[in-house]
Amino acid sequence: MKLNLPSVISSGQDLGGLVLELREYSRWLNHYNILKKVSSSVSEEPPAMSPALKDLLRENKKESENIEELINTLDKLKDDAPTITVTLAAPATKDIKRILNDWLRKNIASNILVNYQFNATLLGGMVVRAGSHIFDWSYRRQILAGRDKFPEVLRNV
Amino acid sequence: MTGEQILQYSILADIFFMGVLVSVAIRHLYLHFKHKNDPIEVAKPHEKPQGAHLPPAVRERMIEKSEAEFESVLNKSAEQLQHDLQITTGQLNKKLERLGSEIIGTEMRRYHLDIEKLRETTETAMTGAQSQISQHQEDLKTKMAKRQEELEAQMVENVKAEQEVMIKNIDTKLADAVISFLTETMQHDIDLGSQSKYLISMLNEHKDELKKGVADEA
Repeated sequence: MKLNLPSVISSGQDLGGLVLELREYSRWLNHYNILKKVSSSVSEEPPAMSPALKDLLRENKKESENIEELINTLDKLKDDAPTITVTLAAPATKDIKRILNDWLRKNIASNILVNYQFNATLLGGMVVRAGSHIFDWSYRRQILAGRDKFPEVLRNV
Repeated sequence: MTGEQILQYSILADIFFMGVLVSVAIRHLYLHFKHKNDPIEVAKPHEKPQGAHLPPAVRERMIEKSEAEFESVLNKSAEQLQHDLQITTGQLNKKLERLGSEIIGTEMRRYHLDIEKLRETTETAMTGAQSQISQHQEDLKTKMAKRQEELEAQMVENVKAEQEVMIKNIDTKLADAVISFLTETMQHDIDLGSQSKYLISMLNEHKDELKKGVADEA
């Protein structure tokens, strides 16, 4: 089963949360079906869904018909999907996550998972770690790379 | 024939004559005293003397005359001998004096020559030594000048290197200070929203590297 991950879902942790929510929903649905068979009047409300789960179900309507299979697919995806870690200078906002996730899933891999971290000393930019590769595109690295130019710049002031 | 040789020959002739006179006188004295003191002749005259028939007074007078003549001749010979001896002595003294003077002069000349040679040798040695000393001094001056230049060049290099190290240290400290200042001032209120374009541009710029990294991880 191939899923389209919504941009609000970033990391394996997010997928784990979704799996828990789906399992909870699955249990409720089974219970609901049983009660519905026993009694015609069932008034129990389904458990609340997170916006991420709603988005997932909305973007994968066909795959959502079989919840157990969806749960298995998500579990497998959590374990097998390529994962990168992005460190920003501040906690990633939803907008930033959305922008970055969209770009990464469009350009790198459609099912890629992204773990977001933050480190204020980066000052800006980001550090991306993909496996053993680390790409430092932070402001701090750029400043450090140009540290030899500081004295010259200051002498010219 | 030099005067010196003539003088030598005359001295030898004088000595020869004196020897002849001395030998004649000695022989005469010997015969005189022999006839007078010979007991045989006195006791047993085997023949009469020539003047035996002469009267004793005449004979006595002749004997005295002979003795006087003999004494006179002897005295004259002695005087002559003494005179010759004086002359010879004088000449010998002169000769000895001259020889001494010549020897002393010769020795003095040799001494002066030796002294002169020694002085020349010493002067040559001194000149050589002075030349060597001058050469050595020149060498020392050259070496000292060269060494001084080397030391000066080395000192300049050391000062320059030290200066560069200090400038580098100052630059490093300055850069650290600037970075610390930027880090401290910029890490507050970071707006990620304004960085989204930069982040996307970085991703686009390193898209292939990122793909490769993800592929390697897979």
